[in-house]
Amino acid sequence: MDAIRQFFMTAPVPPDTLAPSLWLIIALPLLGAFICGVFGRKLGRGNVHLVALGAVAGSFVLSVLAFWAVSHVQGGRPVSLTSSFSFNSVRYAMAHDFGTWFSAGDFRVNFGLMVDHLNAILLLVITGVGFLIHLYSTSYMEHDEGYWRYFAYLNLFVAAMLTLVLADNLVLLFVGWEGVGMCSYLLIGFWYNDAAKAWAGRKAFIANRVGDFAFLIATFLLVLTVGAFQRQADNTNFAPDNNRPERYAQGLSAKGPLTFQGLEAMANALPHEGAAKVTLHSEIVEGPLAGYTFGGVITAILLLFLLGASGKSAQLPLYVWLPDAMAGPTPVSALIHAATMVTAGVYLFCRMSFLLVLSPTAMAVILIIGTLTSLLAALIAFAQDDIKKVLAYSTVSQLGIMFMGVGAGIFWAAALHLVTHAFFKACLFLGAGSVMHGNGDETDIKKLGGLRTEMRWTWVTFMIATLAITGIVPLSGFFSKDAILHGVHHNQLGESLEWVSHLCGILGYVIAASTAFYMTRLYLLTFEGRRSSEARLAHAHESSWLMTLPLVILAVLSVVAAVYAFPLMQLPSGEHQPVFENFLNPVFASAERIAAAGRELRLEHELPHALDYFIAWLIALAGGALAAFLYMRFFPAQAGKPAPAWARAIRRAAQNKFYVDEAYEFVVIRPLKFLSMILYRVFDALLIDTVMVRGTAWVTTRVGSALRYVQTGDAQSYAAVMALALLGGVAYALIRVLS
Amino acid sequence: MVPTQYYLFLAAALFCMGMFGVLTRRNALVVFMCVELMLNAANLTFLAFARQRGDSIGHISAFFVIAVAAAEAAIGLAIVIAVFRSRGSVNIDDMKTMKH
Repeated sequence: MDAIRQFFMTAPVPPDTLAPSLWLIIALPLLGAFICGVFGRKLGRGNVHLVALGAVAGSFVLSVLAFWAVSHVQGGRPVSLTSSFSFNSVRYAMAHDFGTWFSAGDFRVNFGLMVDHLNAILLLVITGVGFLIHLYSTSYMEHDEGYWRYFAYLNLFVAAMLTLVLADNLVLLFVGWEGVGMCSYLLIGFWYNDAAKAWAGRKAFIANRVGDFAFLIATFLLVLTVGAFQRQADNTNFAPDNNRPERYAQGLSAKGPLTFQGLEAMANALPHEGAAKVTLHSEIVEGPLAGYTFGGVITAILLLFLLGASGKSAQLPLYVWLPDAMAGPTPVSALIHAATMVTAGVYLFCRMSFLLVLSPTAMAVILIIGTLTSLLAALIAFAQDDIKKVLAYSTVSQLGIMFMGVGAGIFWAAALHLVTHAFFKACLFLGAGSVMHGNGDETDIKKLGGLRTEMRWTWVTFMIATLAITGIVPLSGFFSKDAILHGVHHNQLGESLEWVSHLCGILGYVIAASTAFYMTRLYLLTFEGRRSSEARLAHAHESSWLMTLPLVILAVLSVVAAVYAFPLMQLPSGEHQPVFENFLNPVFASAERIAAAGRELRLEHELPHALDYFIAWLIALAGGALAAFLYMRFFPAQAGKPAPAWARAIRRAAQNKFYVDEAYEFVVIRPLKFLSMILYRVFDALLIDTVMVRGTAWVTTRVGSALRYVQTGDAQSYAAVMALALLGGVAYALIRVLS
Repeated sequence: MVPTQYYLFLAAALFCMGMFGVLTRRNALVVFMCVELMLNAANLTFLAFARQRGDSIGHISAFFVIAVAAAEAAIGLAIVIAVFRSRGSVNIDDMKTMKH
């Protein structure tokens, strides 16, 4: 037993050896994308599959090694992250700096990769789930001509997502951030012959662009803030780093202002009251931000990051693109729009948890946004009939729950929900794809039904995933979601913001019940009951093993992932802690310390009691039972009778997504189009085209034709001009000399 | 002894006459003569200053100017003769080839 334990505690490749090879994790899928994209058509179907799957599998193996290296090495001794910014940041992490990427003046960005506990888990999710979805795709896309393009995009996406996750500074993260957005755009509009699908891609792209702009502004503000902090801080500010501001300055000159380690050192220095010169309440004295307090600027930065994250992670007000994104191939919806890319916002905030806890205001806003998004999406999901649309709104809703976790400061639960959601939502989407595959691409759940007997594997896995997302007890979704909801109830965001967490906690239970309702409805209409008379095919056929195998694996994972939420790990104090929280502790230790030092925020580590679990379970069960009653008993019996007017009105409103798209059209798009038209007419057509471009030519012609008469070709008149000029010069010189 | 500025006034008068001739006369040969007049005005100033300073730099400069003027006259007359042969006139109004 000890030998086995020893084996798992010793990484097969030591971190020091592995760290310089971290770039391979990104490079493999990138190479795969290159090969598939450039030579794919010539290689043939089998080879493309081999290259694409091999690349992701290689990344997966490397990710496992990286995960292994940072989790328990040499008998559990921590790997130290060689930090340029402070001496004492020993972490379960490894990093490698590949040197300067670009620099301008004293601004510098390094190509640095880092693996710690948080992104090691994400690496496993991205490459693991990514591999399963690649595998699934080989069967799903077998009749598609553009298979090589598809796999190239998919590999490119994996590479971009890995860049996002591995980056150790914000600029490199932004590269991945943009890369996943681009791949999402390419894949949503994969069937570009269909105008509606191409439009959906554009919508996603533009909604993301709005968020990315906010992200960039926030990044720039952060550069200014770090600079101001470095100029103003004194020794006492660096108390946690052994009073060594020089070390910080060295780190800045070596690695640039945007690395997470540097930001963390800064965040650690800010909340100290007393002797320290710079605190959250001190004003910035010089530079473009002069006059604002550090705390205020950081709140603004975080709110801008929230807008950026809501673009990528489909939160209010930018969530509208995600449901339309279902136009792309179903495995894409599973990989990009459920499991990985859309959780980038959650990852970003977990990564920057140390900054987030500096601003309770920003946290409260995130909490509110997450709750409202989740609730709205859950309500819309009630009335959708398209199987993928329901899942899309469900994704938006679950992402909202993750944001609630981040906003309430339960970062580990948000990360856990991210992971479990990746499992069961990918399983659900792939199951939906399997259903569509077996039923002639029918997506309307009203026209399905009775698949239980015809698609056994799909049915079983879909049911398990549904139970997981609704929150039935032994499954992972229950524990991860309940950890968040419990935390929202108990965490306090400072005195004045207490009502926010109370309100959001109550709404959280409404969301949980709604989730159970719409997911049960989806499941029942698709799989139970009799087969609809409007079905396209009389009998559905089960998909090939290439599609069912990933389903089975994902279903198993979405069950066993629950273990991570159990309080199995014993702390030195004797208390127990959930496995996942324990594992992520080194990452969120700074956030804990800062929250404690700032005293504006109380991060709770209270474990839910059996009663809490029971209440949450009852709520989920009630939602599911209501749906079961309505759709198994009530509605079939009422068939043919008209529904009451109010019910129809509500249903119509929900079906039309509460007219949010129309409101956007009216409030944002129309005025924007009007403004653009005016700008086009006045600036483009009038000022630039007419005045600037044609105007220049006109003036030149006129001047030329006027000067034509001066050119006589007479040497004497030229000489006369010269003589006159000389005379003028002499006269001028004389005047100067005489006066 | 005659003061230097008298020589300079004379040279300025000669130069202005030369320049007036260059700018107004139509006959290429007369223009040439006027150019020589201007050059000699310059020579006169050189010599006047040389005498005032009591050294020979001005003399040497004047000899250079004379040598260059001789060369210029040789080439210029050759051009005038060539133009006269091809056009039968030395009126410079007939020679506005720079316009084309």
